[in-house]
Amino acid sequence: MSALQTFMLVVEHDKEEAKRIADSVAQDVESKKATLIEIVQQLGEYINDEDPILRGKAVSFLTAIQVLTTFFGDRIEDGGAVAGLEYLQGLDRFTKELAVETAEALFGNFQDLQSRSQSQRFQVYQLLNELMSKHRSALRDMGDDSLLGTVDLMTGEKDPRNLMIVFSILKVVMMEWDVTNHAELLFDSVYNYFPITFRPPPNDPYGITAQDLKGRLQECISASRHFAPHAIPSLLDKMDSTSPNVKKDALNCLIACINSYDPDTVSRYSITLWEVLKFEILNAQEEILSESSLEALSAIAKRLSEGVIETSQDLPLAQYLHPITKECNEQLQEPQHKQAKPAQQILSSLSSASAVAFTLIVQTVVAPIFTIYQEADGIAKQRALLDTLAVLFQSALHVFGQWTTRGGEIPQENPLLEFKDQFSETLGQALMGSAKGEISFRVTAMKGFLRLSTLRNFFQDNEIGLFVQYLDEILLKEESVGRDDLKKEAISTLAEISKHKPRLIMDITFPAFVATLPDQDDGTNTAYLSTLDTLAQISVERDIFETLFRRLFSKLSVLLQKEQPGSAAYPRAILMTLLYVMQQRDMKADPNVELYFDKVVLGLCRSVAESASGQSKNQILNDPTILDTLGRLCNLLTRAVSVQKQAHVAQNVYTLFSTGDFVPVPFSQGTTVDQERTIIISTYLLAALSKDCGNLIPYATSNMSGLLGDLVQRSVSDSAEPATHLALLRHLALLVNKFLSKEDLNISEKLFDSLISSEEQSFTPAKIRTIFWLAKALVLRIAPTTTHILTSLLGLLSSSDPKTSSSTARGFAILLGDDDVLSAKNGATIRLLSKQRVFTTVIPLISSRIREVNIAGNGQSTPVESSDHIKPAHLTALSGILSTISTTLVLPELPTLLPLLLQSLDLQTSDSVAVRAATLDTLGVIIRDNGVAVIDKCGHVHSLVQRLLKTTESRPGTGVVNPPRLRVDSLKCIYLLATKQAPVESAPNARIPPSISPLLPEKAQVLRSLRAVLDDPKRDVRKAAVDARSAWLRGVDDAPEEDD
Amino acid sequence: MENSNPTILNAADLPTRNRPTVKSGDYPSGIFAAVPNPADFLSSDSEDDDLLEEPIDEQEIYDLIRSISDPEHPLSLGELAVVSLPDIFIKPTLPNVPDSPLQTVTVLITPTITHCSLATVIGLGVRVRLEQSLPPRFRIDVRIKEGTHSTGDEVNKQLGDKERVAAALENGALMQVIAKMMETCQ
Repeated sequence: MSALQTFMLVVEHDKEEAKRIADSVAQDVESKKATLIEIVQQLGEYINDEDPILRGKAVSFLTAIQVLTTFFGDRIEDGGAVAGLEYLQGLDRFTKELAVETAEALFGNFQDLQSRSQSQRFQVYQLLNELMSKHRSALRDMGDDSLLGTVDLMTGEKDPRNLMIVFSILKVVMMEWDVTNHAELLFDSVYNYFPITFRPPPNDPYGITAQDLKGRLQECISASRHFAPHAIPSLLDKMDSTSPNVKKDALNCLIACINSYDPDTVSRYSITLWEVLKFEILNAQEEILSESSLEALSAIAKRLSEGVIETSQDLPLAQYLHPITKECNEQLQEPQHKQAKPAQQILSSLSSASAVAFTLIVQTVVAPIFTIYQEADGIAKQRALLDTLAVLFQSALHVFGQWTTRGGEIPQENPLLEFKDQFSETLGQALMGSAKGEISFRVTAMKGFLRLSTLRNFFQDNEIGLFVQYLDEILLKEESVGRDDLKKEAISTLAEISKHKPRLIMDITFPAFVATLPDQDDGTNTAYLSTLDTLAQISVERDIFETLFRRLFSKLSVLLQKEQPGSAAYPRAILMTLLYVMQQRDMKADPNVELYFDKVVLGLCRSVAESASGQSKNQILNDPTILDTLGRLCNLLTRAVSVQKQAHVAQNVYTLFSTGDFVPVPFSQGTTVDQERTIIISTYLLAALSKDCGNLIPYATSNMSGLLGDLVQRSVSDSAEPATHLALLRHLALLVNKFLSKEDLNISEKLFDSLISSEEQSFTPAKIRTIFWLAKALVLRIAPTTTHILTSLLGLLSSSDPKTSSSTARGFAILLGDDDVLSAKNGATIRLLSKQRVFTTVIPLISSRIREVNIAGNGQSTPVESSDHIKPAHLTALSGILSTISTTLVLPELPTLLPLLLQSLDLQTSDSVAVRAATLDTLGVIIRDNGVAVIDKCGHVHSLVQRLLKTTESRPGTGVVNPPRLRVDSLKCIYLLATKQAPVESAPNARIPPSISPLLPEKAQVLRSLRAVLDDPKRDVRKAAVDARSAWLRGVDDAPEEDD
Repeated sequence: MENSNPTILNAADLPTRNRPTVKSGDYPSGIFAAVPNPADFLSSDSEDDDLLEEPIDEQEIYDLIRSISDPEHPLSLGELAVVSLPDIFIKPTLPNVPDSPLQTVTVLITPTITHCSLATVIGLGVRVRLEQSLPPRFRIDVRIKEGTHSTGDEVNKQLGDKERVAAALENGALMQVIAKMMETCQ
């Protein structure tokens, strides 16, 4: 039976005995027969017992232990005692007195703490930290004793792990103790560590960064306003440091102090801070320092604005801003000089700090700017001043909000209102009254005007309306100048205004623009294109779009009724305008979408059907480009409407909602070209339908084989127009990819086999395209026969008919190429791994086939049959695939691939331009993303450089065809080689030993060859050559550059 | 720093080449370029512009040197108006031999202040940039514009003397400054 249990038994009736037991336990502990922890742990089961009487007894035992605590307080130097105390203080019954006693013991006995091991020190800090969090008031009541004790304890601490905990203990003391008498001591105790230069060792298991320490230190320095007299001068001294890092830390610390000290304290130092920080801004050496200084200045203004409602010159804020605005005004006297820019930045960040700061600044700055503006001797100077005003307007937007800003109304009056008429007049004069060619000046004025127009509660509607009229005038009446920057800016300005004041756009701009639209395009004037362009870009807002739709749709309806409608380009442009705007908007969320659907999809499709059967007044809706644009529009709208409406579309996908004589395309005999062309619309409608509507499609309800067979037959026959043919192919692919069920896949696979396995050696291009589109549909959904399909396609490349072979080669770009119709947006089945599947299947086969051809060519033993086309065909097919997949897939195959790419570059004929361009693209991306190292690993640097250099040569008349685009692309690759020598990402610990660049052996020849290219007849080529050459001059060296 | 607050030209106002707008097809620009024509995949774009020659002109020389940084300011020589388009000349080196391909490029430099001690360095920088970027048939002549520098003749002598230029380029510290100036070249 343990002493404890005995104690519990006797305590009731024999106090003497109980005391004796307690004393003996105490002696046991003293003589180290038992540890404090063991006793308390034993006690645990009683202390936590549910019976209150039993608990009381246990506690009374602990009371006896108190004696012990005191006693061992003296022996606290023993590590076990510290751990024990830490355990004890966590118990409920550890009293305030005990906490004080423990703390006193800590402070009294550890004068030599810093000579102990890190872990022992850590334990002591841990105990103190625990006391701080659980018995803070007890420690606080100790006052100076605990304050000084804590400082003494940690003085000299250097270990980052310990410092993390020390800083957080000190922060508590700094924030909650009365520090008035010892502010400097406390401040010094932490400021000694500034600046933190700690660098964590590699593989640091504790994961403490310099930034962690900096953060905690910063919190300490900014913890109490009493530190200000010490902290701010010391930190400002650090701004003289030559190390940008020290300055950066000091600035961050200052910002923290500004945000944490009280406004009165901040005010006391505000002007001193300005005096020092302005140098960092006006003579900015490092952008980050200038930015942080601006942040600090702005933070001061924010703090000094707290609680201020009335603007007055007696405010501390006003006194702070006074020297600042004075300095800025001086710098702005010469607005084109270098230091005007930083002055602008200062005004910008201070004026956006608060409404009061904004008012004070505007009151002192705007009038002088106007004075300089009036006296300015040149437009460049005036422009610089308008720039400064625009900066203030931006701050106004920040402080007062835009028309569309919700809430946050500022009670103060906007000080800019005083100058409203002056602004309006000056900006209007600059925009419309200056020489038409002063583009950058006028653009600046326009930007300023826009800001004021969107500023909440500033201009009246008629004043903004005047501005809108100016913009209309620029767009409608002025000739284009240069790059048309002014007009582009005017359009985006109108678009911005349309968000805030849509009514003005509808009332002013719309009538003006629509009035200039002709009734028809008679071929003399295509100005309507730019008008429609502008209308499209300003009509994204809902109300405006509705107006646009009504106006344009009625224009279109009139055109469709005309006997002589003029060029089809005009109705097409109208449709494209509607399409463009609908693409910018979320049509699903538009309440009018059903109206648009009825008018366009139902109405116009019906008209298409009429037109196809020759019952319309004109031929507009027979034009393939019109049908294509209309189809896209129908597609977009059908996707946006309900399932019920979609079902209706599904039933009418071929009849196009017609009720008359129109004959739908599938299974019809002897259709006219006009009728057949309606498949374009049908295809776009089909693409929009959700998969659930599949069983509503006519002819496809039970078995699709008839419909598919009919489409294949139409696609294979070479008679269709190009646009119709493409639509047929897409239609076929959509059905197979999206609507054909898994069980019925064999129908399409049979079709594919029957197409490709015919006896003849030569295929028509139409047939080859049909084969590829069918293959595309199947491969994208990774049909079970994918590998078979791909090998069959590759087989066609080796056809003895060169035409079949080369058409097939070009077809490979179709296979994975993005398509507007067979797209994920239209719900096509595009499996994620389909690209990878195609790539990994095809590349080895192409590679081995080319090797075969090469060997056969070298061997000379085989009769040289007419197989010269086979190698280029394979390389073309390869480039088709490469152009449609991402380089991450390419990289693992690079060793196989690189020799093929190099052989592609060897093709020198004009047919091979596209292949070589695609190859150079791929190489460029590989080099850009992975650096030279990957090519060096394959051992092909020399061969690559040789071929690239060869492609840069321009030698007309030698039979070598390197068009300018190829020369530029190849120079870009050469440039990339030199700029991407270092591995893009190397593991931090795997430092690669400085090695000789693999490019070095090539350097002399590259520089020599490029010198000749500097005289290329084409400017773009010369530019690329200059860049490449200087990159090699600069970058290719014996040893890689050391990073600082 | 000798001139801490020089005048700066706005980048938008520097002379640039007005590219002829892209050949206007059926639908020129803006929103109409976004929607492709239903194109046939077999067609390839024409290359009829290829034979048109574009000779090296003053604007091209200007574009080569305007983005060089000033050694003192984080600004370009173009923005500081140290180099400007009207102060660049291209002339045949041998006007009496009409077939000669040799051309001489003259660039006149305007220092930001008349006693700028870095004028020589700037001149060397321009020279090096042009030597690296022009074909060998060009002779390069970089000089201080008359009346813009107190010791212009002295500087010109140094910039014009092949031997002295070569010697200067052997100087590692100087080359480092020049390399730094050219880092911003685009």
